[in-house]
Amino acid sequence: MRSHRRSRLLAPFLLVPLTAGCFSSGGGDDSASGDGKDGDGARLRVALAFPPAENLSPYGADATLLSRLGVTEGLTALDANGSAAPALAESWRRDGDKTWEFTLRDATFQDGGDVTPAAVAASLTRATEAKPAPAALAGVTLGVKAGGDRVVRVTTAEPDPVLPLRLSSPSLAILSAKAYEKGNGRVDPVGHATGPFELTEVNGATSASLERFDDYWGGRAQASGIDARFIADGTARANALRTGELDIAEAVPVAQAASLDEKTRRDTATTRTTSLLLNASSGTFKDAGLRAAARAALDTSVFAKDVYEGYGDPGAGVYGPAVTWAEGKRTAPVGRAAAKKPGDGGTITLATYDNRPELPEVAQVVKQQLEKAGFTVKLTVREYSRLEGDALDGKFDAFVLARNTLLDTGDPVAVLASDYTCDGGFNIAQLCDEGVDRAVADAEKIADTAKRQDAAMAAEARILGSDAVVPLVHQRIITGVADSVQGVVLDPYERTLVGTGTRR
Amino acid sequence: MWQRVAAAGWRTLLAVGLVCGIGLLPWLTHTDPAHTVLKARSAEREPTPEVLADIRQQLGIDGGPLHVLTGWLGGLVRGDAGQSWISGADVLPDVTRALGASLLLMGVALLVAVLTAGLICARTLRLGARRRLGGRRAGGSLSAVLASLPEFLVASVLATVVGVQLGWLPALGWYGPQWTVLPALALGLPAGAVLGRLLDDLLPGAFGEPWALAAAARGLTGRSVARQAVRRCVPALLPNLGLFVVGLTGGAVAVEQVFDIPGLGRTTLQAALAQDLPVLQAGTLALVLLAALATGATRVAARLLTGPALRDGALSSLHRPAPPAGGVLPLLYGAVLLAVVGAGLARDPLALDTGQRLRAPSPDHPFGTDALGRDLLARVGHGALDTLLLAAAISAAALLVGVLLGLLPRVSAPLVDTVNALPPVLVALLVTAVAGSGAATPALAVGAVAWAPLAAHTSSLLRQERATLHITASKGLGAGRVHLLRHELLPAVVPPVLRHALLRLPGVALALASLGFLGLGAQPPSPEWGLLLAENQPYAERAPWAVLAPAAVLALLGALAVSAAGGLRQPVLRRRSRAVTEGVDGAERRSAAATEKEPAGAR
Repeated sequence: MRSHRRSRLLAPFLLVPLTAGCFSSGGGDDSASGDGKDGDGARLRVALAFPPAENLSPYGADATLLSRLGVTEGLTALDANGSAAPALAESWRRDGDKTWEFTLRDATFQDGGDVTPAAVAASLTRATEAKPAPAALAGVTLGVKAGGDRVVRVTTAEPDPVLPLRLSSPSLAILSAKAYEKGNGRVDPVGHATGPFELTEVNGATSASLERFDDYWGGRAQASGIDARFIADGTARANALRTGELDIAEAVPVAQAASLDEKTRRDTATTRTTSLLLNASSGTFKDAGLRAAARAALDTSVFAKDVYEGYGDPGAGVYGPAVTWAEGKRTAPVGRAAAKKPGDGGTITLATYDNRPELPEVAQVVKQQLEKAGFTVKLTVREYSRLEGDALDGKFDAFVLARNTLLDTGDPVAVLASDYTCDGGFNIAQLCDEGVDRAVADAEKIADTAKRQDAAMAAEARILGSDAVVPLVHQRIITGVADSVQGVVLDPYERTLVGTGTRR
Repeated sequence: MWQRVAAAGWRTLLAVGLVCGIGLLPWLTHTDPAHTVLKARSAEREPTPEVLADIRQQLGIDGGPLHVLTGWLGGLVRGDAGQSWISGADVLPDVTRALGASLLLMGVALLVAVLTAGLICARTLRLGARRRLGGRRAGGSLSAVLASLPEFLVASVLATVVGVQLGWLPALGWYGPQWTVLPALALGLPAGAVLGRLLDDLLPGAFGEPWALAAAARGLTGRSVARQAVRRCVPALLPNLGLFVVGLTGGAVAVEQVFDIPGLGRTTLQAALAQDLPVLQAGTLALVLLAALATGATRVAARLLTGPALRDGALSSLHRPAPPAGGVLPLLYGAVLLAVVGAGLARDPLALDTGQRLRAPSPDHPFGTDALGRDLLARVGHGALDTLLLAAAISAAALLVGVLLGLLPRVSAPLVDTVNALPPVLVALLVTAVAGSGAATPALAVGAVAWAPLAAHTSSLLRQERATLHITASKGLGAGRVHLLRHELLPAVVPPVLRHALLRLPGVALALASLGFLGLGAQPPSPEWGLLLAENQPYAERAPWAVLAPAAVLALLGALAVSAAGGLRQPVLRRRSRAVTEGVDGAERRSAAATEKEPAGAR
């Protein structure tokens, strides 16, 4: 009787081996492993904020993830000043209006093959055929051909002065032919890219393992590999860094920054600007005078200092300090209307989204400042995907938006064209102004980098003059880096994080 | 037999209706799935018409909802649940993996919950075994406080304090047994508190039954009497236990987020937001199946525990002996709550001063300030009215619906399981699809779920009550169904269910706030309590007071509700006893009177 009862009590423990399948694989026990393996470079433990959304397809947002971990590279890269720098292409030149010639460097794919012009042409052609097209290729028709021993010729249907910038986009990374063998439009970057680290294992949206690629053209990386984990919750990332489970934690939320040691948190200016967009084609803010009144009512200094706790710079224009050339070329806003006194224009709807925790706070401060100036404001906060459609349809009078100002192409004019022109695809401000359209169209035609930048700033002055956008903060991104780690690449364009020199 | 077939048919009908409802969701809510899928893949991509058209073509949703739905159902018959619209990966392995992690988490959480419930009942059990329960004041403030703690708060405190600062257990991930402890505690403590409270409510009645006296007289040990008392009460709780099992499996989103657990809650939440229908349908079906299994298991367990007595109508009523009135506790709690709200109402809840952000409590700001420098006392005070009125109204409606549907267990039981198995955001989306996003939608969405545990509780109590001797006696004396219902069944069932509803009141307030991100419910800068908790959660470690203040008033509300409910028993019981005596005459009167006396004798 007694023994029978005891065995009944023990029965549940028979289930223990079964539960092993319910845990995540990878991670956890690898903190000790890899120390001093190969005599140099321990493995890095990195937490990324966004898990792979599309099975690591290079044509969507996962491309950034691949490039941040040093897996993929394109023909070109962005340098600190936002111009194109050599990557897989050593050099390039323009051949006529519509053709560019890129000269490749000696490089090998992680699966052993050489990076030949034919392979590059095939890889880029795949990208042009992808549906939906990669954002960097939106509205562009591209033809790529091998043009000699080490030369790739890229031809565009329309003259494209920013093609080298465009090719720096992570979604135009070069992969070997084997990456495309799965068919069905699926692309598999595991083991088929060219960067200093090679993906070896991906555990769904939980974690990934990477090994150093010893034949990398830029020299062997110092770390012997990377254990990447995808942790969506910002507090969880910060906690993991504090317990020593991680070496690098991407994008620590402002609210959690204070919980990290001062030495562990590194902040970098980014190209993200949080702005207040005012609906210029319907409702209260159709009146330029009222837009001017709203702009004048805002005290933008408190946003960077208080809401962003100093991890931001006060809004100066469309481009922030991360766009290094912008400050020196900025001119005063053109054509501002005189501020009117707000009458009984009814209630203004101010909308924002809560995917970034600071935005509802910013919106509440904006609401109070506008109310002090005599506006009546109603606030709407939703999840972004439930809000964007209404915002693009102009259903709100005002919108607080955090926007990356150097989109996938790295071209400063692109954001102006999409956000502030009549035909723009992302015109939440509903701005349709002849002067702005003309200034942006002028800038789009210029090939010379410096002159293009001048023209972009002239267009920015027009846009700011319309008061349809009030820049509030230029965000800084906080990366948590453990004391022992050196050489983390803090990139304002958020395209790289781990490089050949990163080690612990 | 045909009843069982009918029940199975009804259950299948519900599941099919649900899957179809999900399949039609985008078209009912007029939200383009191509758009939400695009945003889930890449938030920054511009939704140009070309991109959206490509995605529609890729997903095969050009043909309209029926085409999509029949295609998916056809695949399901062949064991293929389709591909995720977001990632293109096969749904079945992903959902199975997530379900595995969630089931394991739920299992450990259930263990914690049972232990917690045991601790809560320990005192009653000890006293009851020694037959010293009489005259004991209804306690339970502690369990009520525990039950009203929001899971995410417990989770973040455990992660920060135990995981990070003390370093005793891993704070993050899902790699082995030691990783399960903290998340299971966060889930199991509040759930265990509710279960323990319900059990503690029933135990005195069991100890007051004649068998307990007889057993004690015959010299059985207190331990075995206590064991039998638990066995006597557990069947009434089993349906609720089953609901917890399913609810914890699919609804542990907050805990999964804090501890980074790849569970089903997060999977379905993401799928619901992105309208990734194949994943959402597969996840929901898995949960509904689990619910059916859990119900079956609880029914079998209940039959094993009280089967013969239930069949032969040989139970006695589980009325606990009337305790002394609630005493000063509810008055005390009420006074504190009123004082806080009163003090807060005199202040401005909306005045921002970002220079004063996250200040610790001081004479100027007795509860400190939040992340925008607003006075927390003011916000707590001003939020009270909205929160309490709405939550109380929803709870009252849920109680009414729960009791009414609980009276019709054959209709309601499958409905209860199904509703309870659904992820809350999915319920909200479905309600929005039907009712539009009006002012009443959040209340409807929360109410649509809140009645389920109450109905389950009602019908399980009812099943026991129907099997009691005094009902048989009343029937024998010719009492009609209406009479039985009005004078016998309802008076016995309603008080415990009412106490249950009160126990869940804080949870209703929290559920309301959790819908905010869909644009439903209170919007900032409203000081509604659930919203206060949510907006201050990121600052929980730096400015604990900002979370503690709203959590404390919610807990106070829970304690007040439970302790005040203790005083509600007496009048109901008295009326009932009169009714019984009126309906009975002659020799039977003696037995009825004896039934009534037994509890008194037990004191």
